[in-house]
Amino acid sequence: MDKGLCVNPVWPCAMTGACSVLAGISGINVLIHGSSGCYYYPRSLLKVPLFSTYLLESEIVFGTVNRLKEVVTNLSTSDKPIAILNTCIPALTGEDLAGAFSGESAIFVDAPGFIGNVEKGAKIAFESLGIKTNASREGVNIDGVSLLDLFWRGNLHEAERLLSQMGIPVAVRFAKDSYENLEKGAALHTVSVNPSYPSGVGTMLGSLLFPDLKDTCAKLRETFPNADIDPILEEWKRADEQLFYSSDKYLRKHEPPVVAVCAQESYAVFAKTMMERYFGSEVPVILARNSDAVSIPCETDLTKITGHIADCSPDLILGSTFEANAYPNAGFLGITPPDRSRVSISARPIAGVEGGIMFIENVLNTLIDTASLKQKKNR
Amino acid sequence: MAGCTLTGALSVACFIPGAVTVVHAPKGCAHQTFSMLHAMMNEAETKIVPEILVSGLSDKDVIFGGEACLRRALDRAAEKDPELIIVVTSCVPETIGDDCLAVCREHPYADRTLYIPTSGFLGGSAKDGENAALIGLSTLAKQADPIPGTVGIIGEKNLESEVEENFSEVARLLDLLGLTVTVRFCRNAGVSDLRKLGTVSCFILRDGRSADAGRELGKRFDRPVIGEFPRGLSGSIAFLQETGKASGLSAEKIEEAIMKENEHQKKMLGKFANLSGSEVSLGVEPFEGTLAVAREALKRLGMTESPEGIKVRLPFYLPVGVSGTMKMLYLWRRAILHG
Repeated sequence: MDKGLCVNPVWPCAMTGACSVLAGISGINVLIHGSSGCYYYPRSLLKVPLFSTYLLESEIVFGTVNRLKEVVTNLSTSDKPIAILNTCIPALTGEDLAGAFSGESAIFVDAPGFIGNVEKGAKIAFESLGIKTNASREGVNIDGVSLLDLFWRGNLHEAERLLSQMGIPVAVRFAKDSYENLEKGAALHTVSVNPSYPSGVGTMLGSLLFPDLKDTCAKLRETFPNADIDPILEEWKRADEQLFYSSDKYLRKHEPPVVAVCAQESYAVFAKTMMERYFGSEVPVILARNSDAVSIPCETDLTKITGHIADCSPDLILGSTFEANAYPNAGFLGITPPDRSRVSISARPIAGVEGGIMFIENVLNTLIDTASLKQKKNR
Repeated sequence: MAGCTLTGALSVACFIPGAVTVVHAPKGCAHQTFSMLHAMMNEAETKIVPEILVSGLSDKDVIFGGEACLRRALDRAAEKDPELIIVVTSCVPETIGDDCLAVCREHPYADRTLYIPTSGFLGGSAKDGENAALIGLSTLAKQADPIPGTVGIIGEKNLESEVEENFSEVARLLDLLGLTVTVRFCRNAGVSDLRKLGTVSCFILRDGRSADAGRELGKRFDRPVIGEFPRGLSGSIAFLQETGKASGLSAEKIEEAIMKENEHQKKMLGKFANLSGSEVSLGVEPFEGTLAVAREALKRLGMTESPEGIKVRLPFYLPVGVSGTMKMLYLWRRAILHG
């Protein structure tokens, strides 16, 4: 049995996941208690200021508490709470780091890389933040906003737009909000733009991904009787018609694309549903990045993923450039990081009405470009 | 490049076609490097992804020991029947006390397995990892007589986005001297090419990061070592002098190469003649050595430095030769002419 063995692992560790949650919260200093190597990766990936104890070998031998205290003391002058994020080696040596900071305004997050993947670390970070719900808090929380997500900014804008149109205030955004707002407590109810990054805070009313949007709107109206969901339902209907119109036009000239989908479970299921609904596609490969996926299998070994993809000879890959590079015969649209196929600066959503439209629009353009390229090659 | 020894060692080991790299670590450690390699490969528009086989230490393995995981990883690597298996380690097996050397020695594929004890950050920085890998891999090469007119490049930065452009610039200068690069140690060179390391007449290091490896290799093969790629304009002239001398070329041959290079520089700088008389402010030096290169270019173009001048940025890399200097000047020209 070679359960742990993996070639070219495509998904980051728990520490990176925890860091992505903490780094999204303004008003706290995030301190990675580990080596420069452990600091460097999340720092370059998340592109936000982070701190590190930059542990050295000697500190591992003689204990790391003093080094941690030294850095915490320096950071304390900023008057911001400090989130201490533990990494593999201090976690292995068994020092009582949490105890060393009891009574101080430090949040200790024990999410060493070896315990699992991104989602596990994110879950631990949310638990460590100890966010409570507050019955007097109006509105709804937006969940599933992760700095690791290619679409986090676009999703957040789209979720706020939809909720604003319905007249429902936004309480807390997980995890892109201020610590001050988090401390006020979260609203009792939550909607998500990416259910694979759950905060676990509030009663989940559903996802804002296009196929789920109507049901979630209905639940929002049950919970908030004054919410005006009709304009959103009307918008959804118009978008649905437009998407059928555009995909029908494509299908007049082409066969339905065979699709391979590799992403976190929520986006993977979303992509499969959309491709089946608008193109009548076959989706013989659907693999999750997150090991806690319940409806589809998880795979993070790139050679195995590529093997599955090659077996079905897809026309389109919806995944990351890991898959796109490994199987260059198909068209590609990035829905999970990394997407090195394009320069991406704007706030593109994948959630909401606009997210649904954006997704199918990009799928169509990718398919048309790929077909045109193949035609040119055959000439 | 930041990071621990693992990233450094992998940035060398992963660029050897025909070899399989085994990382004894949790999956996340290997993902970090794989992700960086992927980013750099895409920038370089090279879609070939090196395979990194990771033993995938879990929370249970760190309690009960991870040697069995390494053994399984070696078995899997051996199934591919590679010319070489390179084993590198993260800080986790070092901390839990895995005897990785013994596992490698006892494995049926031991004669084709090279263990490089990197130990993540416990072994130092990325730079230490790069040097450990270069020194470890150099043991594949045997002593040999030097072939005149050949040079070996040591320690190219495989994760540098302009790595091929820098190599081309060095190859251009070497061509002026009539020298040829026969071994790129280690950039896309197969195991059989690496074994030829002892045949080159001179080693050229990418820069001071690989100084430890340079010292070791120079001593072992008794060869002259050029310390770094040329810095900027005058650095290119100095590089021709030093490399020509180290390769045993005649003074006339070196002088001829320098003359041609001076002509080339004059022609290239001519493209920026309209910048003459401009006043610029250079700001902080982001990378040691860039300021000197920039000031020399200023002087050659008849520009002046002043705190009130137009702000131009110094590059976050050391401009290699004339080509690197030109890239910097294009950015300056954009700032001066177009704000």
